[in-house]
Amino acid sequence: MEASSPASHLLVNKSRIRLFGLSFDDCIRVFFGGNAIVSIIVLALITYFLFREGAGFFGQNRQNLTVYRQAGLEYIDFIRAQQDDHTALTRYLSDLRLRQFRHYTQEAKLPVADANAKLAVFDDFAGQFGDTVEPIRTLVSDLTEQASAIKEKFTVMEDKKEERRQLMAEGRKGDADRVIITPVNFAEELKPIIGTLPAYKEASAEFSRRIEQVLATAPVLPTPELQVRMDRFKQLTREYLSGFPAVVSHLESWDYAKPVPAVQALTSFIFGREWLTASFWQDWYGVIPLLVGSLMVSAVALLLAVPLGVGAAIYVNQIATPAEQKFIKPGIEFISAIPSVVLGFFGIAVLGQALRALSQASWLSWVPGFPYSERLNILTAGCLLALMAVPTIFTLAEDALNNVPRAFKEASFALGATRLQTVIKIIVPASLSGIISAVLLGLGRVIGETMVVLLCAGNRIAIPDFSAGLAVVTQPVHTMTGIIAQEMGEVVQGSIHYRALFVVGILLFFLSLGINYVAQIVVRRYRISIG
Amino acid sequence: MVITAPILMDTLPSAPTIRPATAPAPAATAPAGQAAPAAETLIDIDHVDFFYGQSQALHDVSLQIEDKKVTAFIGPSGCGKSTLLRCLNRMNDLIDGTRVAKGSIKIRGVDIHQADVDVIELRKRVGMVFQKSNPFPKSIYENITFGLRLQGVTNKARLDEVVEKSLRGAALWDEVKDRLNASGLGLSGGQQQRLCIARAIAVEPEVILMDEPCSALDPVATAKVEELIQELRTRFTIVIVTHNMQQAARCSDKTAFFYMGKLIEYADTRNIFTNPANAQTEAYVSGRFG
Repeated sequence: MEASSPASHLLVNKSRIRLFGLSFDDCIRVFFGGNAIVSIIVLALITYFLFREGAGFFGQNRQNLTVYRQAGLEYIDFIRAQQDDHTALTRYLSDLRLRQFRHYTQEAKLPVADANAKLAVFDDFAGQFGDTVEPIRTLVSDLTEQASAIKEKFTVMEDKKEERRQLMAEGRKGDADRVIITPVNFAEELKPIIGTLPAYKEASAEFSRRIEQVLATAPVLPTPELQVRMDRFKQLTREYLSGFPAVVSHLESWDYAKPVPAVQALTSFIFGREWLTASFWQDWYGVIPLLVGSLMVSAVALLLAVPLGVGAAIYVNQIATPAEQKFIKPGIEFISAIPSVVLGFFGIAVLGQALRALSQASWLSWVPGFPYSERLNILTAGCLLALMAVPTIFTLAEDALNNVPRAFKEASFALGATRLQTVIKIIVPASLSGIISAVLLGLGRVIGETMVVLLCAGNRIAIPDFSAGLAVVTQPVHTMTGIIAQEMGEVVQGSIHYRALFVVGILLFFLSLGINYVAQIVVRRYRISIG
Repeated sequence: MVITAPILMDTLPSAPTIRPATAPAPAATAPAGQAAPAAETLIDIDHVDFFYGQSQALHDVSLQIEDKKVTAFIGPSGCGKSTLLRCLNRMNDLIDGTRVAKGSIKIRGVDIHQADVDVIELRKRVGMVFQKSNPFPKSIYENITFGLRLQGVTNKARLDEVVEKSLRGAALWDEVKDRLNASGLGLSGGQQQRLCIARAIAVEPEVILMDEPCSALDPVATAKVEELIQELRTRFTIVIVTHNMQQAARCSDKTAFFYMGKLIEYADTRNIFTNPANAQTEAYVSGRFG
């Protein structure tokens, strides 16, 4: 017993510091645990906020599409589409005129005046073809006014409803009752529009007849190559004409009361090919142009950044002397310290100019898309984003290479492999999954980048023309990140446009999440394979 | 992880190989299993000083390694035996700041540190098996054929033949013949080490260097590797570094004892273990120090 008492004395907790009944150790645990929890709570709040703001979009978009139908805009767009297709055909003709003009001036070496004289017959033909649409055009512009008026009435009604709701919310019932809401009777309002169907049929028939007449007078073009294009034009026009009955049947079967399916609110966003806001006619929230823009810019960036980043990593890890390592590693990592707005500024002021000047150099004219005139385009933004992705890819790929056991390298050398053979056949395959995940994280970095693309991608909201082949990279685009940054400051809070931007944000969030998730899976597999 | 030593292998012409003009044919193509004639010196290590940066690892080491014999290097940790082994195929070139300051190492009369020696060719002739088994993260088949493919062999029949021959040579064929396309990393430790031996003999070297090949293996696997060494000694010259005195006694024909970077004694294995000339050797082999 006597021996045990000093021992038990040693075991007594001598710590005297207590805070809210917690010992010092507990406090430290709470402090660090608290930090971790705060980060996770913030993440959860951000996610919640994103979804809460974005979720309302689909209801509003359905409403948007319903009004589009009920106010008769959809009806008129059938006819308008017909008119737009005709415009496309006239554009084909003006392209053909340009080709003939080039033929006359460059190959036949005619003076400009003579060339124009030779083109007189063709110009006459093209002019007549352009005029054929006149009956339709008059009809469309009349209908447009009428439908806009209906939509305007609906908007006013919605505004009044909102006003009354607000007054009620403020408790001013008397004022609220004084707000007059004029309900819109769509059936009644649409009657004059639908009533034009016979007139349309007549106009369409007239239109069709005129086209046939004009087509019969099509001139013969000077070279076989041009004649092929002329024949192609005739064929396109005939196809166009054969689509007329379909338009009529669309119009006949059209019903303003047909409900818009709920899923269309989603599909019109995901597959929508138009992002058109603050339009006098109809707003469209289709994410495709933005998504394609983001992906194109990222693809160009990765195409440049992967060889640079991985190549530099291999060099630094396997070949460079310690002195070179000391210089290259911090150098590349320093790139990520450049603020993106500075890079964007550099892109506008220097890189965009320089690339355009380069594209106009005559010895580079064989490059697809060169020369080009848009200073800000996919290529400019892609080059700068590549610069931003290089440090990420470089650092992570270098780590992956570093994780390859030295024993692999020694075994390879001991079998008589050269350094290059060892790198290509042993080191890179052994670290491949690490390198892939580095590339994926680089992609995540690129796709989420905002400032550079906002400044340098050209901000034209349109799907780039892929028929141009590789030259597509010289076209301007807009991106998902760019559109949020650009438009968020101007939209009315709670409006459909505001919510649409949030949904774009959600899509971006899921894209990044997916990329990171895949990268993590790849890394996990990599760890197992090294054993 | 980065090699910056003045490695010449990428830049050297491959013409001068480690073959003296007088030798009629390389031993690698000599018929295997030929009974070893009276001791013929294959590797001549002559007064070698070796440095890691400023610290000297080998002091004036001289010894002759005989053809088609097993030579064991023993000694306490840090005595320089592995360093000397790695000098024989210039693996030390991969470490920064290493150099042979004095002396020469000749294989069949050719100084392997001469500027015009092709290190790649040297390493094809002097194979190596490491302390920790290090199969590549590839299939068993690809592991064995790696060296041959480097030499440009693509003939499938030839590769198949070498794979079988090497695996039989390493006493591994029966265990893995049904899963040649499985990963080499899926084998047990002992099998992995024998796979590494098979990989080394697939390129038909003259010399096989073994750097503590059994130190990471259990006794059963160790016994198998030792048996293998007995079979290989008829075809290859083997230099083995070991911490296991019994292993040296069992496997080798000649033994060299190193201490503090110096060669203390070099003689027939029987003599080293039964009748050492040097007091330090005796103290070490009898287990009184080291």
